[in-house]
Amino acid sequence: MSEPSAGGASRGLHSDRISGAVFVAIALLVAWENRAYPFGSLSTPGPGYMPLVLAFALGAFGLLVVLRGGASPLVNTIDWTEGRRAIVLLITCGIAAYALEHIGYRLTMVALLVFMLGVVERKRPLPTLLVALGFAFISYYVFATLLRVQLPRGPWGL
Amino acid sequence: MEGVFSNLMLGFSVALTPTVLAYAFAGCVIGTLVGMLPGLGPLAGISLLLPATFGLNPIIAIVLLAGVYYGAMYGGSTTSILMRIPGEAASVMTCVDGYAMTQRGRAGPALAIAAIGSFIAGTLSVIALMFLAPTLASFALRFGPPEYTALLVMGLLVLSYMSGGSMVKTLAMAVVGLLFGMIGIDAMSGYTRFSYGVIELSDGIGIVPVAVGLFGLSEILLTAGQATPPPVQKPTLRQLVPSREDLRLSVGPITRGSVIGFLIGIIPGSAHIISSFVSYGIERRISAHPERFGNGAIEGVAGPESANNAAATGAFVPMLALGIPTGPVTAVMLAAIMVHGISPGPMLIVEQPQLFWGFVASMYVGNVVLLILNLPMVGVFVNLLRIPYSYLYPAILCFCILGVYSVASSVVDVWIMLGMGGLGYLLRKFGYDLAPIALGLVIAPMLELSVRQSLAMSGGSFGIFVQRPIAVTMFVIAGVLILLALKPLIFKSKDWRAEVGLDEQG
Repeated sequence: MSEPSAGGASRGLHSDRISGAVFVAIALLVAWENRAYPFGSLSTPGPGYMPLVLAFALGAFGLLVVLRGGASPLVNTIDWTEGRRAIVLLITCGIAAYALEHIGYRLTMVALLVFMLGVVERKRPLPTLLVALGFAFISYYVFATLLRVQLPRGPWGL
Repeated sequence: MEGVFSNLMLGFSVALTPTVLAYAFAGCVIGTLVGMLPGLGPLAGISLLLPATFGLNPIIAIVLLAGVYYGAMYGGSTTSILMRIPGEAASVMTCVDGYAMTQRGRAGPALAIAAIGSFIAGTLSVIALMFLAPTLASFALRFGPPEYTALLVMGLLVLSYMSGGSMVKTLAMAVVGLLFGMIGIDAMSGYTRFSYGVIELSDGIGIVPVAVGLFGLSEILLTAGQATPPPVQKPTLRQLVPSREDLRLSVGPITRGSVIGFLIGIIPGSAHIISSFVSYGIERRISAHPERFGNGAIEGVAGPESANNAAATGAFVPMLALGIPTGPVTAVMLAAIMVHGISPGPMLIVEQPQLFWGFVASMYVGNVVLLILNLPMVGVFVNLLRIPYSYLYPAILCFCILGVYSVASSVVDVWIMLGMGGLGYLLRKFGYDLAPIALGLVIAPMLELSVRQSLAMSGGSFGIFVQRPIAVTMFVIAGVLILLALKPLIFKSKDWRAEVGLDEQG
C-alpha cells in the first residue's frame, strides 16, 4: 500500500480532513437522494430505511475522521509522481471500454496494447505489434472459443 | 467421526476423478503464477477467472477457484524470498527474513521451508475445516434474523479492529461498501434504488468489477512506470534441501503458525494478511534470539508462511458453514457457487454433500500438487519474473477488462471497474484499507434483510437484539472490540497490532 509520507510543512490541508469532509458530503448527498424512497416505520422499515441509516453512519464516521485528522499527513506531502500515468491509463481504458462493443474485442485489445506499449512505454514497434496481436488473438481463442465466453465482434467478424 | 471419514471418502471419489484433478492442478498453476505477479493478488486472479467457470459444473468451479486461492498463497512467497517483492500482501512478512536468507545464499532452504510450512499448515487446516464446518453449520440452524444481524455487525467490527490503521477509517470504508450494496432492486419492496435509469444497475453492483477495480486496477495505477525488477536468483534442486537445524528451528513456528492462522482465518477480515503479521510478531517475541529476526531467521519464514496458508483455509469455514464471506476472496467464491443456483448456508453441507466433501478432498490434493509445484519446479516459475513489468502490466489491464466484461457481457461493469480503480487509487493514497468496501458490498443485502426482518418480528423494537442469547453474545464481543480499540486512545498505550508490526490505529 502506498502510504502517504508523514511530516513536511506544518501548514496546509490534512489528508484525513479532506477525505472525512468528502464522506460527510457523500452522506448528505445519499440522504438527499434517498427522499425518493419510503422510509416506512420501525415495525415495517421501507426501502429508504437502510440507506438513511447508512448515510447517517457515514456522516458520523466522516466527521470523526475530520475531527481526528490533525495528525494525518498534509496533502502536499503525498507522493503523486505516478499520478499522470495513472490518469492516462484510466482514460485509455475508458476509451477501450467504449470501443469494445463498437469495433469488437480483438481490434480494441490490439489498439489498447499498441497505445500502452508503443506510446506510453515507448517500446519498439515490432515487439509491440507482436505482443498486441498475440494477446488479442490468443486470449480471444482461449476465452471465446474454448471457454465459450461471449466477447463482442466488430467489423469483418473481428 | 465415522461419518466424517465416510463423507471424506465420498469427497475423494469426487476429487480424484481425472477432470477434477486436472482443474485442481490448473487452478494451482494459475494461482502460483498469480501469486508471483506483483499487481495480481488472489482476489484479482479469482475475479478474472470467475467468468470462465460459468460453463463448468459447480464442484469443478469451486475446486478451480480454491486452487487459485491457495496457489497464490504459495506463489507469493517465491517473489518475497527471491526478490523482496511480495506477490500478494500476505507475503510481506516473508520478505523480511526470506530475502535476508537469499542475500546470504540460503534462498533454497527458505523456499523449501516456506513450501513445507505451507503444506503442513494447509493440510492441518483442512482437517480442522472438515470437523468444524459441519458442527458450525448445524449450530447455525438456530440462527434467525437477529442472530444474522449480530453476526454481520460483529464481522464488520472484527474486520475493522483486525485491519491495520484507523478503526474509524476502516468502518467508514465498510459503510461505503454497504452503501454500494444498496444500489439496485430492494428485495422486500421491489423498489429500484439509486440506479438513475441505468438498467444494468437494477441488479446492483457486482462484486467482480468492484474487486478487480479496487485491488487489481488500483495496484497497476500505483505501480505502473516502476523500474525494472532486480535480477532473479534461481536455486538448484540440491540447494533447496534444508539442513536438520533448519527443520528443527521450523517445527515450532509451523505448528504455531498453523493454529494461529486457522483461528484468525475463521474471523472476518484480511485474515491471511493479519495472520502472517501476528505469527511473525509472536515468533520474534518468544525467540531466545530475537536479534536474528530481520537478518535471515528461518523462523521468520516458517511462521508467517504457515499462518497465511492456514488462514486461507480457515476462511472457508464460515463461507461453507454459514454462507457468510469473511473477506472479498470468499465473497467472489460464494458468487461462483450462487451462479450455479446453489444457495450457500447451513444446509449446503446436507444438500450438496458432493460439493462440500469434494471441495474438502480437493484441498488435500491441491496441497500435494502445490508442494510438487513449489519445490522442484520453482526454477521454471521464476522465469516469469524476468518479463519486464512494462510488458506485464498492459497485459494485466487487458485481462481486467476481459474478465470484468465476460461476467455479464456488460460494458457498464467495465465502467464500474474503472471507477473503482480510480477510487481505490485515491483511497490508498489517503491511507484507507479497501477490503471493507468489498466485504460491505457483499453483505449489504443480507444485513438489510436481517435488520428489517428482525424489526418486523419485534414490532419495531430494537430490544430483540438483546433478548436472544446468541445475538447478545455477539453484540457483547462487538462492544468489547470497540472498547479495546478505544483503549490506546485513552491510555496512550500501544495496542497489539502495533506490537506485531501493523500500524497503530488512529
